[in-house]
Amino acid sequence: MLPIFLAIYAGPEERALISRLQRRDPKALAELYDSYGRAAYALVLRVVRDRAIAEDLVQETFLRVWNRVHQMDSEKGALGPWLLAIARNRAIDYLRSSAGRERNAVELSETDHAPLYHEMEAEILISDQARRVRAAMDRLAPNYRTVMELAYFEGLSQSEMSEKMGQPLGTIKTWVRTALQSLRNELGVAVPS
Amino acid sequence: MNCDELREHYDLYALDIAEEPERGEIRVHLNRGCEVCMAQVKRSLGTAAMIGASAPAAEPSAQLRTRILASVGLEDRRAGWFPGWVSALAIAALCVVAVYLGFTGQQYAQTAARLRSQMREQAAQIAGLTEAFAILSGPNTTETSFGGAQPRPPQGKVFLNPARGVLLIASNLPPAPASKIYEMWIIPKGAKPVPAGLFQSQASGSAMHVHAGAVDMASTAAVAVTVENEAGADQPTTQPLIVAAVPAAPR
Repeated sequence: MLPIFLAIYAGPEERALISRLQRRDPKALAELYDSYGRAAYALVLRVVRDRAIAEDLVQETFLRVWNRVHQMDSEKGALGPWLLAIARNRAIDYLRSSAGRERNAVELSETDHAPLYHEMEAEILISDQARRVRAAMDRLAPNYRTVMELAYFEGLSQSEMSEKMGQPLGTIKTWVRTALQSLRNELGVAVPS
Repeated sequence: MNCDELREHYDLYALDIAEEPERGEIRVHLNRGCEVCMAQVKRSLGTAAMIGASAPAAEPSAQLRTRILASVGLEDRRAGWFPGWVSALAIAALCVVAVYLGFTGQQYAQTAARLRSQMREQAAQIAGLTEAFAILSGPNTTETSFGGAQPRPPQGKVFLNPARGVLLIASNLPPAPASKIYEMWIIPKGAKPVPAGLFQSQASGSAMHVHAGAVDMASTAAVAVTVENEAGADQPTTQPLIVAAVPAAPR
């Protein structure tokens, strides 16, 4: 399997790209897509599991970045994690909307505010890290991996997971906490506690 | 609550599964610029981004790039209307010239990357046009017009192919206002409209939008276009500018 991130912007290039996007440089949007398009698509497809819908949502994601990039500080911003957060939120919004559960439609957008992605570790999305996370997820016990995937890729609350998995809410909370702790232990420095 | 009490909830907040009152408390801390919470939430959001990056690799269609650039009114620039082998030859020649002129390794890498990017753009543009042509020329394609009876624009046609998708061609459609975008909808009979992609028109007022994928002709009542906020909507929020009724399938 090819790594999702074959290319990643280092600090100065990322800052320059943000500035160029803010200046409405057409080539900058193309470069942004070339860097993050596949990752965003892979993430959204994992959530919605429909290629046509995934492409529509990725298009919306890039539009949102294009229209909101002025909120990002070109000296501090981390475009990749921000773009993935928007992609994930669009996909989860779609899932919830299509399933008639719009519980967190407003709350979700909290996590894609551009300032939250300022001064984020630049190396967070390099391919090695992505591979390490994938390996760490694979090593989680099945129940732990399931709750992480239900939370991140299906947008289920802990109560919804409890219902779906037929387990008491307290058990689900324990599994989530343990899964996160296991990921931290696996990834060491990459995910400080 | 103080920051220490919220410590176990930053990851849950980043995953959107934190519960009240902790979620609200974290929000309050962030809104008042709490440096401890801001740093912890950023780390947790970084973790979430890495989980997102662990999704199985998948390749979008070649035309998605063209669609994205077109949707903000940008053209996917191509080298020209030359056959593919002419472009490939020209690129190869440029590479040879670049080496001959003694480019440094970095300059050469940048040139090669730019040329590869141009080739990708060209391939994506051709793929988009090919898709549109396939819909136009498909034996099962149904054609319907809109705006013909109106004294004012927009006007155009919608082509539907049950296997290929929907192609919309419009004229006299001015670019959507700032922070707005056009969204196409496929409207099933007796059901909610289904989003069919976002697009922007050119300054000239012309627009072309392709929604690839199978279309159930028998259950489709119409194709419509509305103006929506920049990121689009799951359901129409404005009156349609364009409504093209889908003709009943011949028995």
